[in-house]
Amino acid sequence: MTEEYDVEFVEREDREARFLVRGVTPAFANGIRRAMIADVPTMAIDTVRFVENSSVMFDEQLALRLGLVPLTTPPVGEFVEDDTVTLSIDVEGPATAYSGNLVSSDSLVQPADENVPIIDLKDGQRLEAEAEVVLDRGKNHAKHQGGVAVGYRHLQRVEVVGDVPEFEEPDERIVRGVIEDDGELVPTSEFDHDLTNRYPDQEVAIEDVPNAFVFHVETDGSFTVEELVTRAAETIEARATELEEAVQL
Amino acid sequence: MELRVTESSENELSIEIAGEDHTFMNVLKGTLLEHDDVSAATYDVNPEQSGGQTEPILTIKTEGGVDPLNALEEAAVDVGEKAVAFRNAFEAAA
Amino acid sequence: MSYKCSRCKRDVQLDEYGGVRCPYCGHRVLLKERSRDVKEVGVQ
Repeated sequence: MTEEYDVEFVEREDREARFLVRGVTPAFANGIRRAMIADVPTMAIDTVRFVENSSVMFDEQLALRLGLVPLTTPPVGEFVEDDTVTLSIDVEGPATAYSGNLVSSDSLVQPADENVPIIDLKDGQRLEAEAEVVLDRGKNHAKHQGGVAVGYRHLQRVEVVGDVPEFEEPDERIVRGVIEDDGELVPTSEFDHDLTNRYPDQEVAIEDVPNAFVFHVETDGSFTVEELVTRAAETIEARATELEEAVQL
Repeated sequence: MELRVTESSENELSIEIAGEDHTFMNVLKGTLLEHDDVSAATYDVNPEQSGGQTEPILTIKTEGGVDPLNALEEAAVDVGEKAVAFRNAFEAAA
Repeated sequence: MSYKCSRCKRDVQLDEYGGVRCPYCGHRVLLKERSRDVKEVGVQ
């Protein structure tokens, strides 16, 4: 069996991207999608030691808020299980404690965003805490989900098949995702998702392109889109190897 | 990944694959069905609503005298190759 | 066990026989202070 995959980026930023994969089965596309959401491990706060908390929120509420702060995840191999990273925070009111106030013991593990509010502290209130960070996967807790808003749609091929008869009121044709027009990939956002904007007065036919999927991937900042996709493929690869070895026994 | 054979005959195999979910099982099933000598492949994550049994059970039927276990092994290799091929194609584009 | 009087804001030590009453101002409403221990909480 020879696998002919072809990947092409449509839109690309650090944390968000759209890319087309050709030659992939629906089962495999879904496996990759699910792996991105639930199986790629990320760093997140797991336990918090409160030295002082005179804020209006309970320790447990603040612990959850701290846990959900996205942290940068180090490259594979940099961090092994049972290694811990400690983050500390010390903010005195009147002020708002932000994720940016977290001070890390390891430069590889930092808050991915500086501006996540944790708690608004009034005059005389203070938050002082230390937090332990662990590596785990989204399957066990949503705080370890590296991929947020991960999905795919079929690539849709659009062909002009004729003209709309004169004097006929054209209906809008709403399409979302990416279309293929004579080999050119066009995100539907370019024509406000309405085919009548791109093909005025023309009759068009749309069909799903078999085994061609346009993935939309957004990460929480733990790592780049490339990292997330690569690591998701690696988790599937690792499980395949594990199964192969288990069967041989 | 712990495997436990629940039923086995010459051309049929039911095997429990502990610790896996739809993510891997569906890919594996899909890959098994691409195999020429596999006549049926399916998995069930909650067989017969059996109390507490939530580990997926994979069932494979083969034809042409092929050992289902060999088919499973080949499928595992194929899934691994697909993942590597996908990663390479992605990295080439990235 | 340390408390704080809600009227005069002074720290109050409660003893078993004195009843619930601030020894300084006689006020009967006392607020319980948070313990100074470090508290460890898991993220649920």
